[in-house]
Amino acid sequence: MSRFAQLWRTTTVRLTAVFILLFVIFSILLLAFIAYQSSIQIQQQQTAAIDREVQLLKRIDERQGVRGIVFAVARLSSQPGPGIYYLGDSAGLQIAGNVSGFPQDVLQGSGLFSFNYDRDSPYSEETGKGYAVVRSLLLDDGLRLVVGRDVVERRGFTALIFQAFVLAVAGILVFSTLAGVVTARRVLKRIDTINATSHKIMSGNLSERIPVTRRNDEFDGLATSLNAMLDRIEDLMQGLKEVTDNVAHDLKTPLTRLRNRAEAALRDSSGNDSKNEALETTISESDKLIKTFNALLMIARAEAGAPSGAFADVDVSAVAVDVAELYEPAAEEAGMTLDTRITPGVQLRANRELIGQALVNLIENALKYHEPGADTPGHISVAVHEEAGRVKIEVGDNGPGIPPEDRARVVERFVRLEKSRTEPGSGLGLSLVAAVARLHRGEFRIEDNHPGVLAVLDLPKAI
Amino acid sequence: MKILLIEDDREAASYLVQALDEAGHVTHHATDGETGYAMASSMDYDVLIVDRMLPRRDGLSIVESLRAEGNKTPVLILSALGEVDDRVTGLRAGGDDYLAKPYAFTELLARIEVLARRSSPSEAATSYQVGDLTLDRLSRKVERNGESILLQPREFRLLEYLMKNAGKVVTRTMLLENVWDYHFDPQTNVIDVHMSRLRAKIDKGHANPLLHTIRGAGYMIRE
Repeated sequence: MSRFAQLWRTTTVRLTAVFILLFVIFSILLLAFIAYQSSIQIQQQQTAAIDREVQLLKRIDERQGVRGIVFAVARLSSQPGPGIYYLGDSAGLQIAGNVSGFPQDVLQGSGLFSFNYDRDSPYSEETGKGYAVVRSLLLDDGLRLVVGRDVVERRGFTALIFQAFVLAVAGILVFSTLAGVVTARRVLKRIDTINATSHKIMSGNLSERIPVTRRNDEFDGLATSLNAMLDRIEDLMQGLKEVTDNVAHDLKTPLTRLRNRAEAALRDSSGNDSKNEALETTISESDKLIKTFNALLMIARAEAGAPSGAFADVDVSAVAVDVAELYEPAAEEAGMTLDTRITPGVQLRANRELIGQALVNLIENALKYHEPGADTPGHISVAVHEEAGRVKIEVGDNGPGIPPEDRARVVERFVRLEKSRTEPGSGLGLSLVAAVARLHRGEFRIEDNHPGVLAVLDLPKAI
Repeated sequence: MKILLIEDDREAASYLVQALDEAGHVTHHATDGETGYAMASSMDYDVLIVDRMLPRRDGLSIVESLRAEGNKTPVLILSALGEVDDRVTGLRAGGDDYLAKPYAFTELLARIEVLARRSSPSEAATSYQVGDLTLDRLSRKVERNGESILLQPREFRLLEYLMKNAGKVVTRTMLLENVWDYHFDPQTNVIDVHMSRLRAKIDKGHANPLLHTIRGAGYMIRE
């Protein structure tokens, strides 16, 4: 496709063309209006000038008689310019003046006339056909007086306006076309950059970004938000890759174990009891696998981000009370106490199941990392409160705690701190809590409980 | 019990039919949605087990059509989709219970036995009795052998659910779903601790225990 055709297809050029067309039409209308108004104005002025001269000549006629007016008309006739004068007697013979051969009705009637005439006056600078506007009247002493103007002047003015108009339109056309082309090319250049970048990204280079200029215009706005989108996509892709790696690791290991156990049971010839035992462990292993798998799916869904249909107005306090009550006996069984500081009636637009699951994970985590032999009795506190438009759900313990440098890392998928490798659980608990926090546009932090861990789910009330 | 299983995975279905047969139930099997719908609407079953994704007609539309026709046979929906949203759509379509794959057979069996009971009139009973244990749903009083037992509100609901399904196995997930209204599996033995508290209140000091642990399945209350 030629460059011009490409330019023509751009929105800017088409819009510019439409604007030029509108502008020209508007200019024509405006100039026509001005020309029309001006010609009316000029005509009125000419008529007024003619009438003034007629009045003057009438007065000369009244005061100085025939001699005076003949002399006056002759003098006026001899001046160069567009003036038309005629003085005749009652028989229709010309006494003075610079034009003859008027149409008959001019010399017989009275009033304002306009007509074509031959410029044969020796005083007129122009020759040939002329157009005249005249006033004709019969003076008191029977003389016929005709005073008028050659309106060639008026025509000249109209021509001048038309000329100006043609020039103006030509100028507008040239300049706006130029401006349109320049704008379109600039726009096209920016768009081409964006296109080129997206082609690079489509061909696999996800780290490519659209350049942002310093102009801070709408294209930079677009580029910035597209780049933010690309960042998010890259994050998700990176997350997906990590998940794949981790899934491969954390699911393959127990699957291998499962398979080995089944093979061993098959080889084992010692009897039904051991076979049954092997089968039972196989089932419980596969149950654990399913749980890990479910947790992964849940995290993936929560991280995918869109608040789903399961979002509703949730009484977070009630959820926390429920979960605390559910776990209170289990905590007691483990030799710990569980108390609550829950402000009643804290409402949040949320996914009730996920908030509940997050709380369960936090409490189970606190239970899991409690050291039974510790000097001080284990203690878990569950708190819910609202401050400055944010809902805070906190689970604190007085266990061994997490070193500050590890706090950010434990919320990543599958990370379990070295020390706790031997504890049961897939290490997904806190990752899910973090994912739930992100889904609710909030954040999940681990703070120091002096001693122990204070896990804080900090969620904004307005999503 | 007469059961209709609509499931397109033949291997899973034949395993289920056999296991249900061993549990003493008569099971018919349909491998696609249309056949399943025709069978469900023309014959009388105690429970329908419907897979959600089926060839020719999907599970939810079968349930919706049956409900629209006034067929009230209890339905258990099986699905590989286990999220809360999926469960809600399943139940909204007219399903009575929802079980995500993969599941333990004991879980499925416990659920269909509890479901089938729903069609019996005891649903609206105002009081339950198992042996010498009585529970009054209106006055919220529990007595054993004439002696009043004080229960926490949650313990009351736990016992109420167990007694409503007396003689049937109730799994831990069923308890969590019906008594606490949560649909996840707790990692630790939270339900067991609640049950042992409840057991201490109703069975302690009595010669014949009523609350039984069914190994590998859950709990049951019976004489």
